Amino acid sequence: MARQHPIELFMPPNMLKAKVGGTVVGLDMAAINRAETAMESLKSEFANWAQDDVRRLVAARDAFAANPGPAARAGLLRAAHDMKGQAATFNYPLIARVAGSLSQLIHDLPEKCELSLGLVDAHVNAIHVIYRDKVMDMSNKMALALAQELEARVTEALGA
Amino acid sequence: MSGYRFDRLKILVVDDNVHMRKLVVTILQAFGVIQIFEAESGERAWAVLRESNPDIVVLDWMMEGISGLDLVQMIRTDPQTPNPFVPVIMLSGHTHIDRVRQARDAGINEFIAKPVSVKTMMSRLMSVIENPRPFVRTKSYFGPCRRRRGNNEYRGPERRAEKTVQAAE
Repeated sequence: MARQHPIELFMPPNMLKAKVGGTVVGLDMAAINRAETAMESLKSEFANWAQDDVRRLVAARDAFAANPGPAARAGLLRAAHDMKGQAATFNYPLIARVAGSLSQLIHDLPEKCELSLGLVDAHVNAIHVIYRDKVMDMSNKMALALAQELEARVTEALGA
Repeated sequence: MSGYRFDRLKILVVDDNVHMRKLVVTILQAFGVIQIFEAESGERAWAVLRESNPDIVVLDWMMEGISGLDLVQMIRTDPQTPNPFVPVIMLSGHTHIDRVRQARDAGINEFIAKPVSVKTMMSRLMSVIENPRPFVRTKSYFGPCRRRRGNNEYRGPERRAEKTVQAAE
């Protein structure tokens, strides 16, 4: 980005520091441990989050299939992108990977290019299978091969 | 122990995904934050911001309607903003460097790439408390300085020096 002039540079007063006080002596491990414990128990409470997200993704897919316009495409991208972020946080790395591949396909494919419903469906189905079989690690060879194949198809679609 | 009084902070958490919102709120509560406001959309966040004037905003990038990026720009430059200097920590599934730059150019202070981790959240909070960035105003940008901190390590020519206006003085 080209530098612009004039530049006004100033330091606002640090109200946050004044408010919270404290001193920096590394991370507060007690607070971190409390938060990690709370996060773990929340993950188990959220056993159904993936089910909700899969439903949302399927609904977005159906809306896109019925009317493949920009709005439906944007909805599909949001659903896939959300799933990518959530799945990684809630211990479904393979779902995150496949959802990431779908996000990349939708985001990087120019608007004027047709988004292949077949390739969208392949991703949605893969996510279904990984969730159904509760694959929560990266050692499942079948699921890994599926993710790799989908990524290769996306690269092909984007390179075409 | 850092001895931070997190209980004195007001934090606004903005995410259209209820699970992710709850996760962030849970982490902040475990840190000791008591006053947490939640918003499920950019529109709602803008209203809450103006009502509650939070000390920190944690927000998701991708939301329907007003996106996280739009909201940051409103916070920084809209005449109705309650505090254009409020620190903004952006959460995103986007990890590509171009996207991080885009968020930085909108005026965020810190970026957290999902998956969200407790340590990253704590370190970003500590960053906005301990190492606030100076603010910059140019013709097309207002927000935290987009250079990384550690400017003391820069050994090149001081290209800005001549035309910089030290407004704080």
